[in-house]
Amino acid sequence: MNKDLFTIGAKEIDAARIMAEIEASVQQKIASGAYDDARIARAERTNLAAFASQDEFVGFYLRCLRDAVSVDIGDYEIHERRSFLAPLLVSLKKIIWKLLKFYTYRLWSQQNEVNALLLTAVENMEEKYERRLRDIERRLDELSGKQDSGPPPESSEKIDGAK
Amino acid sequence: MKKHTSRPQHFAFVCPRFSDQTTVGGAETLLRRLAEHTAANGHQVTILTTCARDHFTWRNEIPPGEKKFGQVHVVFFPVDENRNVETFLRIQDRISRNIPVCDAEEKAWINNSVNSPALYEHLRSRPDIYDVIVTGPYLFGVTHAVSRIYPARTLLLPCLHDEPFAYLKITRALFQRTAGILFNSRPEMELAQRIYGVSDQRCRVVGMGLDPFTPDPEPFRKRFRVPTPFVLYSGRREPLKGTPLLIAYLQTFRERTSRNVHLVFTGSGPLDIPPGGTTWITDCGVLPENLKRSAMAAATVFCHPSTLESLGIVVLEAWLAQTPVLVNAGSAVLREHCRNANGGLWFRFYPEFEEALLRLLDDPHLRSALAAAGRSYVESRFSWDEIMRRFFDGVADLLQQPALPEVRP
Repeated sequence: MNKDLFTIGAKEIDAARIMAEIEASVQQKIASGAYDDARIARAERTNLAAFASQDEFVGFYLRCLRDAVSVDIGDYEIHERRSFLAPLLVSLKKIIWKLLKFYTYRLWSQQNEVNALLLTAVENMEEKYERRLRDIERRLDELSGKQDSGPPPESSEKIDGAK
Repeated sequence: MKKHTSRPQHFAFVCPRFSDQTTVGGAETLLRRLAEHTAANGHQVTILTTCARDHFTWRNEIPPGEKKFGQVHVVFFPVDENRNVETFLRIQDRISRNIPVCDAEEKAWINNSVNSPALYEHLRSRPDIYDVIVTGPYLFGVTHAVSRIYPARTLLLPCLHDEPFAYLKITRALFQRTAGILFNSRPEMELAQRIYGVSDQRCRVVGMGLDPFTPDPEPFRKRFRVPTPFVLYSGRREPLKGTPLLIAYLQTFRERTSRNVHLVFTGSGPLDIPPGGTTWITDCGVLPENLKRSAMAAATVFCHPSTLESLGIVVLEAWLAQTPVLVNAGSAVLREHCRNANGGLWFRFYPEFEEALLRLLDDPHLRSALAAAGRSYVESRFSWDEIMRRFFDGVADLLQQPALPEVRP
């Protein structure tokens, strides 16, 4: 590809504007649930550094996690790629699955319960601390507002009086 | 090349490893290139380094002694083989997991890091030889020890990242004791000012120059035959550089969008390729410089997923190869490069990665415009003439500053 063909207009490019468009589009899609996807939750496990630096990431991650928290333990269609003896192999796999299911079902359902409880606990904690933070911020704003509009300090009254 | 100072001086550049190839880290490459250009400006330059090649084992592989590379003398000294690697790794693990460590542990960590008593003795026994000592990066025992010998003429080139090691007391002391600090970028300097409160007078932003080249994707295409489009990453592959994040994100991207985008890695370090990943991930390993540049020119997008960068040399190289970049916004340095250059986009989390990559893949005009703007940014701000002007001005200014009293951790 000859990249020089496309250099016209390079001066007008504005990465910050494009990013603002991307961020707006992402916010809309998040609100519409387009990213509530267990696959995203899995991918974001490698981006946990963002927890420390971005407030909005936590909420987003928890929403993805809600989608990923329940391990699928239901029956599924069993296939066989090898055509040779395929019906026999499928039947064998079905028998193995049924035998395994008999005692793994209890384990997986308990694990799902634990996952759901943990997620709910984390969500509640997040909500609680967010509420607390909002209260503290509001209180700080009130206090600084009072300080700004309060009576002038003693020293300036004296100066006024001296005038 | 223009000469920038009138009085020739003797510069010592001290770094943990030296190679005239590209097999060492970015910080060491930066020190070597600065040394070469300082020598080209008429100064006497000696690089003091260790006999180690491998940054995992730190085994003494190069014979000790002096060698000349172009205009630069390089003196190799053995790494202290008595260091307690177990203690070093145990404390390093705690620090990197943000577990508080006491002063004695900090000291034990740096004392058992890479040190070279022979190198320190060389400096101590030659008090009148070197006018200026430039040392870095900040994470190594060599840097800490050298900065204590002649702090008033030592300049630190830290390559600082926002990581737990930056918040240690010994790191603070290192930043306080040297005559001045040379940064690679403004965000890196601001980070140091935020953590250590160092004043503007003791800081200069220098960076590293890059030589422009004509991008030619053909050699890479012919040798590797990677289908397009592909995203490229070049450099060390490790969790701290964000390579697992890039693999996880691109895997999710492929699954969610059904786009057959390939991922190409060049560089060293292990890759954790997911099941089925060999069909869309190509590991080229360490490539010679010309082939790495060719890979950059052939790539649809260059992605840098690291949050810990003080300069991001590969991003600048990708722009010289006329390829747009996509970077992790968690790195203030990379984000600022993209914003200032208008040469790339950034992401904070997966949705932004998906949206930005879709835009880049679908819009060749956008890719070309970003790439052209990126290249012109590098050419104007990272030419060697410009870098050496900043370097020599910085050295002259900073060495007139009184050094702070030595702080022993």
